Amino acid sequence: MSSVNLKHGHHGPRRAGGRVGGESPQGDAERTFRFLGPGHAWLTVDMMGRQRMADGRRLRTWSFGRGFNNDRSVPSPVIEGIEGEMLEVTLFSMMPHTIHFHGLDVDQRNDGVPSTSGFVAHGHGGGGHGGGGHGGGHGGMDFGRVEGYDNLGSPFTYRFVAPHAGTYAYHCHVDTVLHFEMGMYGTVIIRPPGGLANVVWDGGPAFDREYIWHLHTFDSSWHDETVSSRRTVRHRPDYFMINGKDGANAFSDRATAINGAPGDRILIRSNNMGYQPALIQLGGLPFQVIASDGRPLPASFTTDQQLVAPGERYDLLVQLPSVGDWDAQVHYFDIGLRRSLGVATTSITAR
Amino acid sequence: MNRRDFVKQSTITAAAFGLSGLTTLLPKSAHASVWDVSFTAEGHTKNMVDGASVFTWRYRDPGGSGPGDLSSGLVVMEGDDVSITVFNDLDRPINLEIPGVLEGTPQVPPGGSHTYSFTAPAAGSYVYFDSVNGEIGRAMGLAGPLIVMPADGSNSLYVGGPTFDRQYTLVLHELDDRLNSAIAAGGTYDMANYEPNFFFVNGLSYPHTAADGDTLVDMFVGERVALRFVNTGLITNPMHFHGYHVDVATRNRVPETAVITKDTVPVNVSECVDVILPCNQPGAYPLHTHYVPGVTANGVYVNPYGGALIVMSAS
Repeated sequence: MSSVNLKHGHHGPRRAGGRVGGESPQGDAERTFRFLGPGHAWLTVDMMGRQRMADGRRLRTWSFGRGFNNDRSVPSPVIEGIEGEMLEVTLFSMMPHTIHFHGLDVDQRNDGVPSTSGFVAHGHGGGGHGGGGHGGGHGGMDFGRVEGYDNLGSPFTYRFVAPHAGTYAYHCHVDTVLHFEMGMYGTVIIRPPGGLANVVWDGGPAFDREYIWHLHTFDSSWHDETVSSRRTVRHRPDYFMINGKDGANAFSDRATAINGAPGDRILIRSNNMGYQPALIQLGGLPFQVIASDGRPLPASFTTDQQLVAPGERYDLLVQLPSVGDWDAQVHYFDIGLRRSLGVATTSITAR
Repeated sequence: MNRRDFVKQSTITAAAFGLSGLTTLLPKSAHASVWDVSFTAEGHTKNMVDGASVFTWRYRDPGGSGPGDLSSGLVVMEGDDVSITVFNDLDRPINLEIPGVLEGTPQVPPGGSHTYSFTAPAAGSYVYFDSVNGEIGRAMGLAGPLIVMPADGSNSLYVGGPTFDRQYTLVLHELDDRLNSAIAAGGTYDMANYEPNFFFVNGLSYPHTAADGDTLVDMFVGERVALRFVNTGLITNPMHFHGYHVDVATRNRVPETAVITKDTVPVNVSECVDVILPCNQPGAYPLHTHYVPGVTANGVYVNPYGGALIVMSAS
């Protein structure tokens, strides 16, 4: 996709090995997920999705765009931007939805939250100082006020300057507990200035290949609902996924299963968009935790497991030590961290 | 003048306090003070944001109960001598413990009382709770915050620590109404089945959080705002900031060795996490648990109910 509408233009990659816009660092032949951007992404809403689970069941899903990849309805596509450059995302929807750019610290107009962003469009005093004005306004979360879908069917464009390079998320913030569960979420990658695609941030450690691990679960009993209600009180997941794939489908999924050569430095952008804390283990392989929530850690550390709470992102760097096979696991815990509810397993292969 | 007004007008600290429902015992000088407080442990019918009523327990300071019916809290200064006399109006023994400060404390039988005394420890955010009834006690609401301000009277998290222009204490808890019903009926509850369905900040659910002056985070661009998360509940709350990244300053009063900048800050069970928010843009933004079922009231997110979601407003 061309870099349209960039204020200062996009000058392309500074070096080989990675190129933004429709290509992962692996190159087209091994492209694993669909990128939108940089500069501009257009998203429609699909509320007629069906996701095939490993047991053959098909669950109803909703998503932005045409999915993370051709072979699944959710998660939604990856949006890519470049640090310091304008990123515009245009949403077309006939139904009430918004996009919240999770962690991108956008301004109120572009925040995608009905109860606050909506105030901007209609001058109801959002941002005003003094608590008195908020109580009454917030008491009625009136969908009709919400910018972005107050003209259903018309496009709405979110605009912001992409912040620090790193891993972020986006999701619908309307009736969030259900729209989120149904699949209206995805990953945002902000590349370093110039579009470098072999480091997470300018000056950060280099990697050879990158994977996104969008971590999530489904409670299948929620997927025939259209609005949150007393039928969506307690989330009891029965499918445990990485990138929309569970069970045997996760183990061999080309967007998820890690393949490389001994010595390769693999970046995993973990993004917990589920309702359960997720514990990542790479089959015993030690890895470095280098960044979280779009910011480099002041000191990276080495571990063999990392807990990722709902909404958190951690960037993990693992070097494949030798020819071998490992089973990587993501354990999903209940929110009280009492027990593991289920696991998603994928493969790491070095040849 | 009530104690909160006293603190807001106090000249010893220039910080504006947002300490919802806390009994604030800040002295007029930097010298150590002596404080006697009374808490009554009692049953209480709490109104949910969707109109439901749930039987809860709380420690109530007759002079300082907060807007959300949560257990009272305390704000003191390092070195203060504090005595809390607990009257037990419940039907079973309880106690009051402050991890790291008051542990292994005596029980108070039903109808009895006991005075717990301690010297206010190092500055920071603490949680207190009943330990006799285990997780049931906390699930029912017998837990609250203790905030200790630094002895030098500065607007900092601890002497020499991160400074701030204003501060808020945000108590996180939740309940599973099946547990409360079982306890109200004289029974017990298997905590393996604990799945909460109502969620609170300072005892309030959205949109009531946005109408409470001590829970609406009201700030000016350019300020550094301290937010003290005190988790008195039994789940992890990953607190997600719209509009801002924050610097995690301390976890259970242990300073981070380097600045960790986050937009989603997990606050674990019985954990106190202090963060500094550098307010760098105007607007109104939510701050909420990203355990997304936690922003609902009994499963309902839509107009107008919510859960553990508050609003930050900056101009």
